[in-house]
Amino acid sequence: MDETETRNWYDRYYKFTMILPLTFLLFSIVYLVNFNIREGDLIYKDVSLTGGTIITVLDKKVNIEDVKKALEVQFPDLAIRKISELRTGSQKGFFLETKADVKEAKPALEKHLGYNLTQENSSVEFSGSALSSGFYQQLRFAVLLAFVFMAIVVFLVFRTFVPSFAVILSAFADIIMTIVMVDLLGISLSLAGIIAFLMLIGYSVDTDILLTSRLLKQRDYKLNRQLYDAFKTGITMTLTSIAAVGISLAIIYSYSDVLRQIFTILLIGLGFDIVNTWLTNAPLLKWYIESKEDKS
Amino acid sequence: MKITLRIWILIIALVLSIIAIRPGFQSGVVITSIDQDSLLVKEGLGTGEIIKDINGKEIKNKQDYAQILTELFSDKVEKRTDIKTNKNEYTVLTNNTFGITVENVPKTRIQTGLDLRGGARALVQPDVQISSSELDDLVEISRNRLNVYGLSDVNIKGVSDLSGDKFLLIEIAGATPADLEKLIGQQGKFEAKIGNKSVFSGENKDVRNVCRNDATCAAVTSCSPAQGAYFCNFAFTIYLSEEAADRHAQITKNVTLDETGQYLSEKLVLLIDGNEVESLLISSGLRGQATTQISIQGSGTGTTRDDALKNTRAEMRQLQTILLTGSLPYKLNIVRLDTISPSLGEEFSYTLLMAGIVSIIAVSLIIFVRYRKIKISLSLLITSFSEIIIILGVAAFLRWNLDLPSIAGILATIGTGVDQQIVILDEAFRSKIVSIKQRMKQALFVIVSAYLTAVVSLIPLYKAGAGLFKGFALTTLIGITAGVLITRPAFSDMIKKLEEN
Repeated sequence: MDETETRNWYDRYYKFTMILPLTFLLFSIVYLVNFNIREGDLIYKDVSLTGGTIITVLDKKVNIEDVKKALEVQFPDLAIRKISELRTGSQKGFFLETKADVKEAKPALEKHLGYNLTQENSSVEFSGSALSSGFYQQLRFAVLLAFVFMAIVVFLVFRTFVPSFAVILSAFADIIMTIVMVDLLGISLSLAGIIAFLMLIGYSVDTDILLTSRLLKQRDYKLNRQLYDAFKTGITMTLTSIAAVGISLAIIYSYSDVLRQIFTILLIGLGFDIVNTWLTNAPLLKWYIESKEDKS
Repeated sequence: MKITLRIWILIIALVLSIIAIRPGFQSGVVITSIDQDSLLVKEGLGTGEIIKDINGKEIKNKQDYAQILTELFSDKVEKRTDIKTNKNEYTVLTNNTFGITVENVPKTRIQTGLDLRGGARALVQPDVQISSSELDDLVEISRNRLNVYGLSDVNIKGVSDLSGDKFLLIEIAGATPADLEKLIGQQGKFEAKIGNKSVFSGENKDVRNVCRNDATCAAVTSCSPAQGAYFCNFAFTIYLSEEAADRHAQITKNVTLDETGQYLSEKLVLLIDGNEVESLLISSGLRGQATTQISIQGSGTGTTRDDALKNTRAEMRQLQTILLTGSLPYKLNIVRLDTISPSLGEEFSYTLLMAGIVSIIAVSLIIFVRYRKIKISLSLLITSFSEIIIILGVAAFLRWNLDLPSIAGILATIGTGVDQQIVILDEAFRSKIVSIKQRMKQALFVIVSAYLTAVVSLIPLYKAGAGLFKGFALTTLIGITAGVLITRPAFSDMIKKLEEN
């Protein structure tokens, strides 16, 4: 009789489960408003968004701490990270990131290392600041536009306000909470990181669409049983995604800043998606369906 | 298990994709570029040919090729060399490397992007607003410059972004010349002056022709050591129009001779983008003469003789390129420049492959734990791999370069693909109240809805950021479309059959 009891419990208290994610959403929005006032933007940006230079050097021997100390005086915003061999963990080289122009950064690094940086031993990425901030504006706009398009399609598919709104709210909460988490972790977002938010929109609505269509379109079982079935499916979906993304992240970790950031953001977003889909979207939908049934 | 129509479609799509990818096991090295002054050009060797054998020794890969070159040319003695390619046989007499670059024969037709293969990518922006047709001209001139310079594996196109700014996107695979910035960033405004008067310039079609690749009128003339370094001189002939020749006569008519009496007291000064690059003495015999042939001279230095020679050739080639291809009506700024080391790429591809495979296997394990049916796990595994093959096949067919964003797109697609397969599975094993057909229809509704939201959210990405993330949008679109049209229907049939049995 356990199941019935839980269901009864759920029927009685399900609306309250929304308090947790909604409070968190509220906190997130307040945090982001504050962050925006403090930092002038919603996120920390790396040099691919502000303009600057990223140099990857393949050097198994050089002491990275020394490089950092030597160059910090000239480039105070310098960031350096080690690249290590996947299997042995030994040093392969390092990434160096600074807002300075490549024409200043490269010679300074060459002088410290004592050899010329060529295509054989290094990769150099440089982007001008006007271009980078222009691209940033555009990508931000692209994400916003993508979100609006997604919302329109959701409304067209379900054609009812509350369920559609619940799907969109859940996706919105995923994105907002992920941004907050990224900020709290102190991650500086790159161009590619913004793409991750686009991917997140896709991943996040998947489970919500599943939930909504199961509950709205099929009436083969009682609502709670349907909800439980949808939950089983949805949680499997999210867990497999988390497993795939987590494993990829672990393997790729020290290789590519681009993919590392994409996977980190997806992982955070997928985690929040569990909360928002099952504690916000599901109760809202249940509420909507039950109140409609009461009326009829 | 009976193979249904939808499964047949999947099989056909897979076969077509594999044909498009065309895995091959040919050995040898493929020629990716040839220097314009290489002896082999005259012999008719072209890029894309595959070198199989040099002097009877089989060439299997780049290492073999490099080794044979060191064996042949380390002593700098002129030797007869027989080169056998997949198309022809060539014989040259030379004491120097052939002036070609080679790569291992690709195992498949999948092309990887610069961030995996190594190379350079530059985004160049004019300092004025230009129209689409002006952008086309810019692409043409730049392509011309790079070709004249001797770079062949180059991809140049005009791109614009969401705010309407126009850029020139230049991608060069493999090794990039050190002077790339100079070559593409230069406006190339060329002028030759005597005193303050312009004799000829790049604009007015003054320069009729430029001698290059012909040792009789374009060559490195001498090399000599001095002060711990080497200096080399080059000279090449240019041919002027009649008008420019007349101008030369008019201007030099009144110039006095210098103290030696051999030369004029004013020099011919060559300027590129307003900077003096060379100043040449004019021999007294040319005073007041309408000459259409002028010898342009210059020099280069290096720490070793070879270095100096190389630099001098590069200097000469640059000057020739600018004289020949003319100038641009505006300045260019390199707003983004990435040069990526090829050595990082190789290991990276391996790592990515591993991440993909391990992820799919892990997901299949989770599915096995959940449903406890090995056949289902296997179907899912097969479907996911099929999807990757189809994406790669379409990419190979479109000759699309798979860069990092594209690969992120593939991974995203597999993720959403697995999600949708789970929807199908759960729908199949759920209630038996409604028919399996009805349930599959329901699953397809979820899938199509998710598909539509994904498609519309990718559209804005196509143009944002001057198309740098087009790869992501494209692979994702291919993947999810193939998913909805091919793999998902086939998977649902597989499951239906498994369920019925």
